[in-house]
Amino acid sequence: MINIKINSVPLEVEEGTTILEAAKKGDTPIPTLCHHPALDSFGACRLCVVEIHYGKRVKIVTSCNYEVWDGLEVFTDTDRVRKSRAMTLELLLARCPDVRMIKDLAREYGVKQGRFSEESDNCILCGLCVRICKERMGVGAADFVGRGVDMKIDTPYSRGSDACLACGACVTVCPTGAIDLEKRFSRNEPVPLKSVFNAGMSTKPVIATPFPQAVPNIPVIDSANCVYLRTGGCRTCETFCEAKAIDYDQKDETVEVDVGTIIAATGFDLYNPEEKPEYGYGKYPEVITGLEFERLVSASGPTGGKILINGKEPRKVVFIQCVGSREEGGKREYCSRVCCMYTAKHAHLVKERLKDAEISIFYTDLRAFGKGYEEFVNRVKDEGTTYRRRELNEPIEVTKKKGKLTVTAKGHPALEADMVILATAVVPREDSLELARKLNISLSPDGFFLEAHPKLKPVETLTGGIFLAGCAQGPKDIPDTVSQASGAASRAISILSKDTIMMEAITAAVNEAKCRGCGLCVEICPFNAIELKEINRLGYTVKVASVNEALCKGCGSCSAACLSQAVQQKGFTDTQILEAIRGIV
Amino acid sequence: MLLKGSKDVERLKGELESRYSRFDKEIVITTNATCCKLKKSKEVEEAFSRELKKIASTKKINMRLTGCLGFCEIEPIVIINPQGILYREVKPEDVAEIISESVLKDDVVTRLVYTSPSGSAYANKADIPFYKKQLRIVTGNNDIINPTSIEDYIAAGGYSALARVLETMKPDEVTEEIKKSGLRGRGGGGFPTGKKWETCLKAKEEDGVCYVICNADEGDPGAYMDRSLLESNPHSVIEGMIIGSYAIGSNEGYIYVRAEYPLAVEHVRHALQQAEACGCLGDNIMGSGHRFRIRVSRGAGAFVCGESTALMASLEGKVGRPRAKYVHTVERGLWNKPTTLNNVETWSNVPLIINRGAGWFAGIGTKGSKGTKIFSLVGKINNTGLVEVPMGMTLREIIYDIGGGIPQDKKFKAVQTGGPSGGCIPENLLHLPVDFDELSGAGSMMGSGGMIVMDEDTCMVDVARYFINFLKDESCGKCVACREGIKQMLHILERICGGQGKEGDIELLEELGAYCVDTSLCALGATAGNPVITTIKYFRDEYEKHIKEKQCPAGVCKALFQYSISTDDCNGCGACRAKCPVEAITGGKKEAHSIDLSQCIKCGVCFDVCRFDAVKKVPLKGAVL
Repeated sequence: MINIKINSVPLEVEEGTTILEAAKKGDTPIPTLCHHPALDSFGACRLCVVEIHYGKRVKIVTSCNYEVWDGLEVFTDTDRVRKSRAMTLELLLARCPDVRMIKDLAREYGVKQGRFSEESDNCILCGLCVRICKERMGVGAADFVGRGVDMKIDTPYSRGSDACLACGACVTVCPTGAIDLEKRFSRNEPVPLKSVFNAGMSTKPVIATPFPQAVPNIPVIDSANCVYLRTGGCRTCETFCEAKAIDYDQKDETVEVDVGTIIAATGFDLYNPEEKPEYGYGKYPEVITGLEFERLVSASGPTGGKILINGKEPRKVVFIQCVGSREEGGKREYCSRVCCMYTAKHAHLVKERLKDAEISIFYTDLRAFGKGYEEFVNRVKDEGTTYRRRELNEPIEVTKKKGKLTVTAKGHPALEADMVILATAVVPREDSLELARKLNISLSPDGFFLEAHPKLKPVETLTGGIFLAGCAQGPKDIPDTVSQASGAASRAISILSKDTIMMEAITAAVNEAKCRGCGLCVEICPFNAIELKEINRLGYTVKVASVNEALCKGCGSCSAACLSQAVQQKGFTDTQILEAIRGIV
Repeated sequence: MLLKGSKDVERLKGELESRYSRFDKEIVITTNATCCKLKKSKEVEEAFSRELKKIASTKKINMRLTGCLGFCEIEPIVIINPQGILYREVKPEDVAEIISESVLKDDVVTRLVYTSPSGSAYANKADIPFYKKQLRIVTGNNDIINPTSIEDYIAAGGYSALARVLETMKPDEVTEEIKKSGLRGRGGGGFPTGKKWETCLKAKEEDGVCYVICNADEGDPGAYMDRSLLESNPHSVIEGMIIGSYAIGSNEGYIYVRAEYPLAVEHVRHALQQAEACGCLGDNIMGSGHRFRIRVSRGAGAFVCGESTALMASLEGKVGRPRAKYVHTVERGLWNKPTTLNNVETWSNVPLIINRGAGWFAGIGTKGSKGTKIFSLVGKINNTGLVEVPMGMTLREIIYDIGGGIPQDKKFKAVQTGGPSGGCIPENLLHLPVDFDELSGAGSMMGSGGMIVMDEDTCMVDVARYFINFLKDESCGKCVACREGIKQMLHILERICGGQGKEGDIELLEELGAYCVDTSLCALGATAGNPVITTIKYFRDEYEKHIKEKQCPAGVCKALFQYSISTDDCNGCGACRAKCPVEAITGGKKEAHSIDLSQCIKCGVCFDVCRFDAVKKVPLKGAVL
């Protein structure tokens, strides 16, 4: 360890530490422009200068690349240091008079403009972009070109680089925002990563927390786009993470858990309105879905809660309900149940944020069935929202002419709109069939999970120990979902809380001596209650059927199917039944 | 001719001496350096060859084709030995006469001898004031060495120092000897050479590998000491490097030389081949077991590549851009290994010190600066050339006694030492001795030895502008201080020269100059302020005249004066009218002419052609300059 003094305060640091690193450790601020902790020090901006004292000598050095030695005395804020930094900033300000961060720094050092002839560059030639591309990404797509006052940062022959990965690292490190990746640097088009949580309306970095309340609430690396995982370069995040928590080797894994009951609460998907081109979704950016609108008005959303479309506040807003729902004779004949109310809420939010907005809602039948729902709809109507009834078999058309949207519906005047919001149908999860097979439960014709009985057993399935909650079972709003989830939870608990459980008295039993281990019963059992097991028969290992009595409902399918009559219902063997019949007869 | 030790070297030397002694006479022609080649010395040489053939039966004549003898002003030079008669500016048509008078007879061709500006004629080289006051130890053998002949070098005592070092000295003894001599780096920094070697050796012990570099990237405008040395005596540099490599235990060396010096590159490459053929370079140098090879690397001409870290970056194949030198290159230099880099002249001094002893070397010069220094004396000076003087000689002696003063008896104004990064020294400081510390004290520096003399017709603001403009072109652009600082200094100087100077400009220039010194990354930036700071320090009144009165006292800054024809002096000869490229001058025969100022582009042709001093430079308002 090495003992130094920074501004007369003693400090112990490791050998090989630079003054800048030592100062950071001692919480002494030193301004920098060309320094980046993940890159080799460059020493070009000269802003990080400090004064060092040794013996009678006083010297100005750059702290970013000066390694400390025992007994070194450093002063970070002397008049000489401030004067030097101020001149550096004054010169940079003359070079880049419009760059905000230079302006701010210059102000901090009391620098005023006017003494030097000004240019209008916005690159300070700190070289961060060049160095991160070369040192970290291992690419070197751009470099310093020319010399002295003619030096600039460019790609070979000023042509967009093929080597550039368009990873955007240069744009990220550039302190002045001088890099135009698409137009100048790269031939490969940068593909911004869309934030799924913000419905694709904002971008996200490669490392991000999936959404604000994610559990666990920690960032993840997008492995498809991480430069290290793609090319072996970069690893910049590693140098920043003080907790050393970055683990590039983590992979998706399959976890097996033993459980007593299962609640299928896998939620729903939203209907893709591009399937109905008449609404113009995907064609016109002004046509968005209800979920997208939800993110747009959210304070944590892409616009910070401002309702903006193409950067402007809309004046005429049209909502269209039943997009994909209630298709007579179609795939989605059901009502999505939540659209009427959330559309009313959205209309209310638009009115709240944009007082002068003209709002129209196209609805089919207004289904405000919950507690207080009707009152809310009436309030929205009173606020000035126009409800317009549409006929389901009469399609609504959204068209665009000269930058203006027009919504045409039969029986209504053509409406101009700045923004159209579609209430898209609630549809089953894409993988619901796969999951149903896995859980051995059924789907209703609409594709949602089928409950055991629509009225008497709305949370159960036909498979024991598996329950349903929420939109996995069918479209429902939050109060309904919460109620059903509570029901499912208590049904699950009622099984788990008991030491023993009541079973069907009549279950199947296997006569192992007769069983040939053909496995027909295993396939036939609708409750997955039969497995093949190995036993020792006269010194040979053979396979025989074995019944899990906790799962067996005593339906008798197996005994009916068994070719060797090895599986029989307890107390209701074929012989017993035949004897009983004979007795009666 | 493999040399296996000092005995071989001595034997060869003896053989060569007896071979040369069989000649009746020797004709020395300076034809193996760029300066004399430009003055058509080749034709002179050919004429001599032709003429000598004719007399080959009567006289045995040795023709020695040497490199630069320093007095570039009067080249091509021909010296007839043993008389030591020097003929200046010899032309092919003079050759026959020289042969008949001085070779066949012992007479002197008077019309070809050197005449000083004061009118005295000198037939003998030794008597010429230009040479008389010099102490030519590094360049001293140039008149007996053909740079393409290793034999000439050995005959002159070459490679005997190397043989002695390899046979009788341990590496640390060599370093000790260099330390004792007090030799300091001749490239400009003035760092003690022995100390550098010692540090390198220490760093090498940890690392195992180290390199030797000769910095021949001479870039100062008007300075050509290194070029001349490499062209005229390349073996002395190579021998110095081999001795250095032995002292620090290096097996690999580089000579980084500008590609603009093709002749130097040619001579050095040739010399390296010869040295290797003689066993002075290679796997087993003179049978000592020491292994060392030198490669020549040509620089593309960036001034900044003379800076050691930029030079090494360039050698490594990277862009020649300096890095911070907080860790010295002797510890981590080329390929991150300990590296000893010395200037051409420094290396040349090494064999001399070994041969003649550290004590002898330390006896020359001042307390802090030992030995001699070669200067390239150029500008407004009678005797342009390379001069080698002992440290401690005053600037006045160099300029007036050796340099012969200013042409046309004009007034001396300043001397610029140290190249673009040096400073301008005024007349009242001409008593300063050439010494690393004294020159730095005056705000200039020794530099690599450029010495530009300026007379009264020089505008000091324009000089500062010129050098800052040079530095603007040569700054690598990496650090803000140098790149932006120099740019803004140039803007201000251009403004002042253009008549747009403002109150406060001088102070701003001083501030910027001091900032560059304090904050720049490398020595280029850190000395870039010198031309500005020293010209302001010693010639502040000129700056003030430019700014306040919008006048250029020397009549250089075109924006500050106009040409006018004095009706009293003009006799209407029409010379100016005929030469004016824009036909701005009108006037009838034998009538006073006049200049149409709206057309005049201030090219100055009329001023130069007028034999009656009728064309005057007139300030835009006020009196005649």
